[in-house]
Amino acid sequence: MLALFLAIPVAAQDARALVAGAIDLTRGTTSYAEMSMQIHRPDWQRNSSLVAWTSGREDALIRFTAPAKDAGNATLKDDEKMWTFTPRLNRVIRLPYSLMAQSWAGSDFSYNDLSRTDTLLHDYTLSLLETRQDEDHIVYTIEAVPHDDAPVVWGREVLVLRDDYVLLSHTFHDQDDQPLKRLEAMEIGEKGGRIFATRMRMVKLDEQDHWTEVSYDEVQFDVELEEGLFTVYTLRSGAGG
Amino acid sequence: MRTSVPIKVLAQLGWRNLWRHRRRNIMLMGAIVLAVGFVLLANSLLRGWQAQMLDTVVANLPGHVKVLAPGYRDDPSIQRGFQLPADYQPDLPGVDSWTSRVRVPGVILSERDTRGVQLVGVDPQRELAISFLADVELEGEFLQDSEDRRVLIGAGLAEQLETSVGRRIVLMTQGSDGRNREAGFRVAGVYRASSSGLEKVFVFTGRRVLQDLLDSEAVTELSIRLVENGQRAMARDLLQRQFAAQEASTWDELEPMAASMYKFADTAMLIWFSIMMAALAFGLVNTLVTAVMERTRELGMLRAIGMQPGVVLLQVVMESLMVVSLGVLMGIGMGMLAVYSLSDGIDLSEWTAGIEGYYMSSVLVPVLLPYDIFRITVLSLLFGLLASIFPAWRAVRVEPLDAMRR
Repeated sequence: MLALFLAIPVAAQDARALVAGAIDLTRGTTSYAEMSMQIHRPDWQRNSSLVAWTSGREDALIRFTAPAKDAGNATLKDDEKMWTFTPRLNRVIRLPYSLMAQSWAGSDFSYNDLSRTDTLLHDYTLSLLETRQDEDHIVYTIEAVPHDDAPVVWGREVLVLRDDYVLLSHTFHDQDDQPLKRLEAMEIGEKGGRIFATRMRMVKLDEQDHWTEVSYDEVQFDVELEEGLFTVYTLRSGAGG
Repeated sequence: MRTSVPIKVLAQLGWRNLWRHRRRNIMLMGAIVLAVGFVLLANSLLRGWQAQMLDTVVANLPGHVKVLAPGYRDDPSIQRGFQLPADYQPDLPGVDSWTSRVRVPGVILSERDTRGVQLVGVDPQRELAISFLADVELEGEFLQDSEDRRVLIGAGLAEQLETSVGRRIVLMTQGSDGRNREAGFRVAGVYRASSSGLEKVFVFTGRRVLQDLLDSEAVTELSIRLVENGQRAMARDLLQRQFAAQEASTWDELEPMAASMYKFADTAMLIWFSIMMAALAFGLVNTLVTAVMERTRELGMLRAIGMQPGVVLLQVVMESLMVVSLGVLMGIGMGMLAVYSLSDGIDLSEWTAGIEGYYMSSVLVPVLLPYDIFRITVLSLLFGLLASIFPAWRAVRVEPLDAMRR
């Protein structure tokens, strides 16, 4: 509560420290996860299963395992670069940057949502809007306003962060300050020895009943990853899964 | 030498003959009116399209003559740029205006959409003198100078992106090192151009700003507008000598498609005219032949009492010309009326997506040239004359004795 009454620069620093802490949490850690994804639309929905390997925030390899028609489709991320592989076409496609804002695998996540790393620290002015006590935790509401020349289309972003760095929600506002989409933590629990949002939902706020939910069925942290996992070769060969 | 019939009497005779079959002749004339009217309208629409094409091609970005680095046209990137001295002035006669630009493909993003565009870094004052930007409707502000860190986008694009003056958008492109560059920019102004194609393609910002983003000092084009379109070949040759390492070209070399379409429009007009007239010819010849056949007995009588074959021929030709010239006059009138009623242009925006490839804008304004009216009138009258030859020949061949025996 104290932070609210302190001078603004201090509050800003706090916001920065919080975001940096949340980012550092995953830095240098490796993970293996089995997840299910549900894409929900007013008149249909689709369930798929996928496996993902990550190393820090830079590298990730995600591969669909079900349904059969999507199985094998994979996305590779190496720093800011991304590739996709479709076994039916047997082709690896390096994603042009222009496509990064497009939907990933038909979901409500964009490639950018998967790929952005430390941009929150570089390209935004962060400030602490609110601090409140919620049961056992202190919950911070942080506002991130992109710099004028930052490559960010949003008017501002609002993050709600717990003191153990669990992200409760992340809302993207347009430049009229209309919220357009929100990432929400639906369930927070312990898996693989860590506490994090085990079920997350990306909701389109300007469209009725459009959301995509990702839940972790199985997670292991600090796993031993084979050499060359995050390469186009692995992406194409279908190895790892 | 011969008992010639005064022209006045002949005309009177012809006129009365026409009125003997009022309905038939009025219908024939109606057909001519429609045909000529539509030909004139189609003609002015094609002219309108041609004018637009030249506008789009010359005014929009090429200028009459352009200097590009070799290979830029196949791979338009900043790597294919060239250096231009800061105090460069074109050393050419007959220069109307000129500018240099940095023009690279890029991507524009807003909260709601992503579009592929051409990023154009300009010197705003020079650009105003040369390109279509001079006569666009502008909402917001124009760029101040080449250091202006804002962008100018088209209304069509603004609509797609759901953005507006004062908001931020993100531009992405490939820098001189081949790596991705992206940055946020504020929208200074939104322009409304004659074609939504233009509006969706060109995003303008300060030249220095785009060069900074690309990490380069180069420009990708030097564009010169001449006073006279006809001097373009000479200007190109001079420029080629001054920029030996680059490629100088005229607009019709840069846009061969537009150039050939421009020429094609001329041919299309003639083809259209010929088809209409050929269809009419059957009607006209048929009616005249019928008129002659009906009057076999009468013509025989006239011949028997001394009318010369030449006069008979003249008589039939005159009848034909009367119908045709009346029809042509009224047809031209109708065509002009149609053109004037469309002088606000035909809104093609419903089909815009399909027609932009043909250098058209979404509103087609017909253009009526006196030359075209003259040409259509003369050709139609000539056609009336030609169509009457066969019937007239039939009339001359009537044998007085045979005819009288009927």
